[in-house]
Amino acid sequence: MAEIIVVTSGKGGVGKTTSSASLAVGLAQAGKKVAVIDFDVGLRNLDLIMGCERRVVYDFINVVQGEASLKQALIKDKRYDSLYVLAASQTRDKDALTQEGVEKVLDGLGTEGFEYVVCDSPAGIEKGAHLAMYFADHAVVVVNPEVSSVRDSDRILGLLASKTRRAERGEGPITQHLLLTRYNPTRVEAGEMLSVKDVEEILGIKVVGVIPESENVLAASNAGVPVILDENSFAGQAYTDVVSRLLGQERPLRFIEVQKKGFLKRVFGG
Amino acid sequence: MNARVDTLEAACDLRFGQVGMACVRVRRADAAALCDELERRVRAAPQMFSRAAVVLDLSHLSALPDDGTVDALLEAIRSAGMLPVGLAYGTAATEELATRMGLPLIAKFRAAYEPVGGEAQPMPAAAAPVPAVSTAPAREPIHEESAAAHTAMRHAAGAVRSGQQVYARDRDLVVNAAVANGAEVIADGSIHVYGSLRGRAMAGAQGDTSARIYCTDFHAELVAIAGHYRVFEQIPADLEGQAVQCWLEGEKLLIARL
Repeated sequence: MAEIIVVTSGKGGVGKTTSSASLAVGLAQAGKKVAVIDFDVGLRNLDLIMGCERRVVYDFINVVQGEASLKQALIKDKRYDSLYVLAASQTRDKDALTQEGVEKVLDGLGTEGFEYVVCDSPAGIEKGAHLAMYFADHAVVVVNPEVSSVRDSDRILGLLASKTRRAERGEGPITQHLLLTRYNPTRVEAGEMLSVKDVEEILGIKVVGVIPESENVLAASNAGVPVILDENSFAGQAYTDVVSRLLGQERPLRFIEVQKKGFLKRVFGG
Repeated sequence: MNARVDTLEAACDLRFGQVGMACVRVRRADAAALCDELERRVRAAPQMFSRAAVVLDLSHLSALPDDGTVDALLEAIRSAGMLPVGLAYGTAATEELATRMGLPLIAKFRAAYEPVGGEAQPMPAAAAPVPAVSTAPAREPIHEESAAAHTAMRHAAGAVRSGQQVYARDRDLVVNAAVANGAEVIADGSIHVYGSLRGRAMAGAQGDTSARIYCTDFHAELVAIAGHYRVFEQIPADLEGQAVQCWLEGEKLLIARL
């Protein structure tokens, strides 16, 4: 069976799709066979970030409703042979998703030999978000260092502990990882932003990674290249660290201190 | 409506939702007295009660009345100006009665919040009803002691997250992690939080004025004991982040550092 990872947050605009794309690419770079699914039916974005928007023929809803096979709908990434994208439908709404349909697709991916399935959840706590998290084994909760985002993440953490198949079947809790994005150490130091410690304290769990606020993220998104592929950007390097941690390796937290000009390379070089 | 345009839509959706509905809990099978009483209520608050949908709850009668009496009770409610829409769930016998009357049986929402042995203290003392223990649904635990004896406690392991609610019925509540902003912890007895209390804590939910709230890191949005509450738009500097306890002295809710 494939390991199912949901990337979720509650709040919109915090970086779920950016994170889903980069994590999926990172896992593929590590040699895993990965599928990344856009659950945001009606507001599909993942294909843009992955740079495959012009190759979408069949989508997730077509497969759920039996109008296309999984093989027809999976879009192979141009950069990595083991990475596939399953796009959302832009013309339907979230009611087109059903629990049985989602289960069928995930089971299908398992039998196709996928090792990881990354589910990019829509914002909110309604049907789309619920179905994205329901079958997950791991959850990456994306949070910005800002009070409303932290509050929504708290709500999501509560739902992950109760409203998932693992919870309902008593199969042990889903593994929860907190991913802090859009982090700006300078603004944290100025007291304008919550610090890593504040967020960890409020939510009561440790972060799996901190992605610094970076201009490269926007540029990468617009270019359809997941930011993890931009090896010169701090955000890209931070995502690489997160993937390593998810695969069980130890990596120290980087990019959480204010940078001093001049010896950046020496400090952060490796 | 857009449902017209999109012909792929189903003809209807079946959705579950909760609606608040008044419950007429009959203490005596006396239709005339019931009509008088309800008429008074309707006159006093016509906006609230006139043509209000109500559910007839017979579970507090010592025995289920016969069909004729139930008909009379329903008629009494109607003539007082309310609209009975169903029977509240009691026993299998109530279910049969509802079938004979052609009325739906309506499950008691929030049944867990109602005491089995007696009323909450602020209610006026009425003729003590026969405790409904023997006729109550089997899943309700049977309490023989009074609600004031909080011997056991409920233990909530792990954090109480935003949007979650933990209720300790007839007992104390112990939480060994944080209670987040937007979370609610409620107990009929006292509440102990070994961690940050950032949400709402309500002790003595059934009116026990001796209940207390303790926490090791105080950031609460609201604390309440037996219905007396305080909200904290600004937490006093001498209490914020401190270990505190809250208790009731007369009508006053007091908070002090431990």
